[in-house]
Amino acid sequence: MSKVVEISPTTRHEGHSKLVLKVNDEGIIERGDWLSITPVRGVEKLAIGKTYEQVPKIASRVCGICPIAHTLAATEAMEASMGVEIPDDAYLLRIILQAANRLHSHALHDILALPDMYLPGTDSKINPFSPEEPVRSVAKRIQTLRMIGQTIGEIVGGEAVHPSNPRVGGMYKNITPRAKAKVLDLAKQALPLAREQMEFMIAVFENYGKRDWAEMCGREVAIPKDLGYHQQGYMATDPMYGSSSLDEHPTWDPARWLEVRPWDWYMGEEEITLEDEAYPVGGTTKAGTKAWPQMQACTGVPLYDGQPVEVGPRARMSIFKNYDRKGAIGLNIAREMEYMDSVYKMIEAADALNTSGSVVADVIPQGDGSIGWASNEAPRGADVHLAKVRNGKVEWFSMLVPTTWNFPTCSRALTGAPWELAEVIVRAYDPCVSCATHMIVLDEDNKLVAQKLLE
Amino acid sequence: MSEYLGEYKAVYKAKTACADILGKAQDGGIVTSMFAYALEAGIIDGAIVAGPGAEPYKPEPMIATTIEELLAARGTKYSISPNMSLIKEATRSYGLDKIGIVGTPCQIQAVRKAQLYPIGLRDVPDKIALAIGIFCMENFPYQGLYQMVEDHCATKIDNVKKMDIGKGKFTVYTERGATAEIPLKVTHKYEQPACHVCLDYVANMADISTGSVGTPDGWSTVFIRSKAGEAAFQKAVDAGWIVAESMDGVKPGLELVEKLAKTKIDNNRAYLEHRKHEGTLLKPLRSPYI
Repeated sequence: MSKVVEISPTTRHEGHSKLVLKVNDEGIIERGDWLSITPVRGVEKLAIGKTYEQVPKIASRVCGICPIAHTLAATEAMEASMGVEIPDDAYLLRIILQAANRLHSHALHDILALPDMYLPGTDSKINPFSPEEPVRSVAKRIQTLRMIGQTIGEIVGGEAVHPSNPRVGGMYKNITPRAKAKVLDLAKQALPLAREQMEFMIAVFENYGKRDWAEMCGREVAIPKDLGYHQQGYMATDPMYGSSSLDEHPTWDPARWLEVRPWDWYMGEEEITLEDEAYPVGGTTKAGTKAWPQMQACTGVPLYDGQPVEVGPRARMSIFKNYDRKGAIGLNIAREMEYMDSVYKMIEAADALNTSGSVVADVIPQGDGSIGWASNEAPRGADVHLAKVRNGKVEWFSMLVPTTWNFPTCSRALTGAPWELAEVIVRAYDPCVSCATHMIVLDEDNKLVAQKLLE
Repeated sequence: MSEYLGEYKAVYKAKTACADILGKAQDGGIVTSMFAYALEAGIIDGAIVAGPGAEPYKPEPMIATTIEELLAARGTKYSISPNMSLIKEATRSYGLDKIGIVGTPCQIQAVRKAQLYPIGLRDVPDKIALAIGIFCMENFPYQGLYQMVEDHCATKIDNVKKMDIGKGKFTVYTERGATAEIPLKVTHKYEQPACHVCLDYVANMADISTGSVGTPDGWSTVFIRSKAGEAAFQKAVDAGWIVAESMDGVKPGLELVEKLAKTKIDNNRAYLEHRKHEGTLLKPLRSPYI
């Protein structure tokens, strides 16, 4: 006889989401639903009728963790629709910005992931805020890496959060030689720190993967060897930056994408039958409460080739670098392995940058209403924005963000894990829920109005 | 501490020891040589100054990171240069960590306010290293200044070598050696209306404030107001960039500074009082101080 347990809200990630889990008598998940309960932002509807300059700025406000990814994806979606080619130096500035965003976001994830993990060789969990060594110097290193990522973002993007410098057609301003020197100095400072941080985190994750049990709710919970394994595919568009419909060989295909209703995907109404007051923080939802995932989920369910797919660091590593570790630990390790690339990319791009080069396209056509898409490899995965621009105004705008892809995939990865460790799997995806929330259009019969993209 | 001159640690009669700077300086060349020294000594790595603009004597804020750029910005331009508009960009695409900024008393108030409430100015407050204020009675919009020079002084503004306000007169010196002078009374109608609510004459909030009033020609009066200002000024004097002497016995001295400050502030207080009753539909105008 299976029981239903609900963890609401899930913690230590961005946004507001919950887990509804059907478990067997041993507490092993038979079916898990992870869903967003963040209220709808409505950014896509706000965008309609605005100018192409406004929309990327509005789109970036969807969240404060990867606003750089949203700004770049939306800006490039406009450029793709209008057919704007940007100068090389603007592209280099965007790459620096992208790498800076990835550096600070991965470092932030380390703080959120560490409290689940154990110090290798001990049975004590890591409190990243502890003043004791070795944790204190790790925390300081994380904060230094974040400072570097944010400061570089500030110099190149004009603002650490919600960058003001990117614009349709390139960038508003190039940076001065002094600012370029500062970017290079900061990146060089990050290089050894990123390597140490990567090695430390990989050791910690590997250690967790080798453990037999983890302490949860005051008891020892067995860690399965296949924690977070799933059989879904991966989707990534570039190891570092992204792709767009302007590319000679685009790496994403809108024809393979389909969005379905959560109604068809998630569980129906269920009564909570299992509760645990010892679950951090404050216990799980009380027994007797009702949960209705298919009604409560605030996301569409995007499918690629008819299946949910995983996006993010492991997807990038698997597709472009033959990485093959599965499960929650494999995903965490893939993320750590991206540290070095983001720092090297920053240094390479800054080296190649000509600070007196023009950074705005000479000609900016105003758009003829054709569809354009751009994908940006945000820290959490491919962030695809689609747009139609006609005569300088946005007619239609859509954001297909990383965590939206990961919701159904991660839900499948929960099967087979003890319910107490469900959040460990969720956190491995470094979820960022607020941008994943979308309005979907239903007709009178509650059917999703089909979105015809390519006419 | 004085009611009209604000708090200060010391006051000097000073001028630059550098002939290059003095050549085209307004008075003692204090702002240029303080920033030049601070750049050399690493106290600042760039300064926001009123540089030359598209039209003659129309200032344009600029970020000077070399002494050559500073020299290009020498001399007073009696029009508005929104220096604060660059304070954020200086920390962004210019990549500065220690910023010097020069401004009128109202601009220095804006600097301090921005440091207290850095809304939209993330990571800016801690990067302001040296704020130099200049004495200011009032300012002119460029169109007003243009009219004063072209019409009242009957001089083509392109030919002007230097403009000066002092001893109750607005004076224009031309390249060809001619001098035109008009009484300040004539210029009043061209002032910015906003200047009439200002209660600060000698930049009370600056690290260092300076102006010509109170000292003989070719010298400046310098108020040292903060620890940062004191340290920077002392080092500049020790390094031989600036000659500083005591204000004791200097004619016309601090009495004149105080007298002018009193005139400005008392007049503007009266105007603020007047604003309570002035306005359309019997509605008082807003007091900028609440």
